[in-house]
Amino acid sequence: MEQSRKKFLRNFFIGATSVPLILEACKKESTTSSGSGSGSGSGTCTVAPTETEGPYPTHSPSSYVRSDIRDGRTGVNLAMNITIKNTNNNCAALSGVIVDVWHCDKDGNYSEYGTGFTSLHFLRGRQTADANGLVSFTTIFPGWYTGRATHIHVHIYNAAGTSLKITQISFPEGTGSAVQTVNSTEGQAYGYTKGMSGYTYATGDNVFSDDTALVEQAVVTGSLAAGFVLTHTINVAG
Amino acid sequence: MQTSKKIVLCYRKIIAADAEKTWDRYVFESSFAEYRMQAQYYDPEEKYSSFSALVQQVPAAEKLHFLVSAAVTGYIGQLNNKVPDITDNLGRTCLLFDNYRFEIINSDSNNKKTHQVAVNFFTRPMIWHDTIGQLLLLSSSQEEKEGTEWDTIMVPVQPFLSIHTLKENT
Repeated sequence: MEQSRKKFLRNFFIGATSVPLILEACKKESTTSSGSGSGSGSGTCTVAPTETEGPYPTHSPSSYVRSDIRDGRTGVNLAMNITIKNTNNNCAALSGVIVDVWHCDKDGNYSEYGTGFTSLHFLRGRQTADANGLVSFTTIFPGWYTGRATHIHVHIYNAAGTSLKITQISFPEGTGSAVQTVNSTEGQAYGYTKGMSGYTYATGDNVFSDDTALVEQAVVTGSLAAGFVLTHTINVAG
Repeated sequence: MQTSKKIVLCYRKIIAADAEKTWDRYVFESSFAEYRMQAQYYDPEEKYSSFSALVQQVPAAEKLHFLVSAAVTGYIGQLNNKVPDITDNLGRTCLLFDNYRFEIINSDSNNKKTHQVAVNFFTRPMIWHDTIGQLLLLSSSQEEKEGTEWDTIMVPVQPFLSIHTLKENT
């Protein structure tokens, strides 16, 4: 009897001393959560989670890290092979660098936050250059939008993520070129409906017009049915 | 009981340098690394130290919210549609989401401590039957039909949890 009374008092005592601590914790939490709080908790005296733990998070690379960057976007297939070379090493292949590429879809639109909420990063990808300095992507032939020639954006970083070069790749244009074929009547079957009316050619493009040596221009081969292959080399000071 | 309403709750989960949970740490570290990489596109000469200065000088840098979000997509997927942190009055994770929006609150490529991001989780639509004290009495809107005996949950009103959309039931 005495034992249980002691136990009761002890429990009561613990309870009594705990109350101010809890109140204090609430107070503290509610002041810190007013704007700069950690947010890792919900910020009030809510019931602590009491359920089976998990799932346990695991390291997950950026969703850019993939070679097929189509994300369901339709268009003419394009295989991109970009080789990175090092001007600081007699233009030898530069392995280990991180290469980001991104471009617009067949209608000339980039992935971005729109009216929807969940992120869709279509036609954006990241690869690390192999021993030959090569990165490869599976994508679709880019469309075009007013004021710009057909192009692919490229951002090259060293392995630590420091920017080495921001550039763009241009496409051969004119009779028989892939750009013209894709934007022709035949290309309409693949969803490229703009034609070439109002197209800005590289010579009039504010990025490519000074590239008279065609350093930024890729080699593009292939066909609508078989898809096209883009081959290009970018020299950076690695 | 008041007329029931269909609501979507938003939980704005803020993650900063003092984050302790494993998931929070991953989101913090990955989003900072991605921010450092992507911010260089908008500021190749590294003229602006903070995200706020960068956005002020280069408005296109607003796109960094979207661009950096790719770093956390994988971690969002690992949540299996369960809104983290928020529990019902029985201490169970109870809210489900399909939609979210990542945002950068503050950052500085040269000062990781200032990096602060938020993930806004938007719950699936629910029926809001009533509010009892500080508790929202909610049901999954999937069950809605005449004469339903509702399965309900009670979720405490709390900071960073807000009603995002509301629709009167007719």
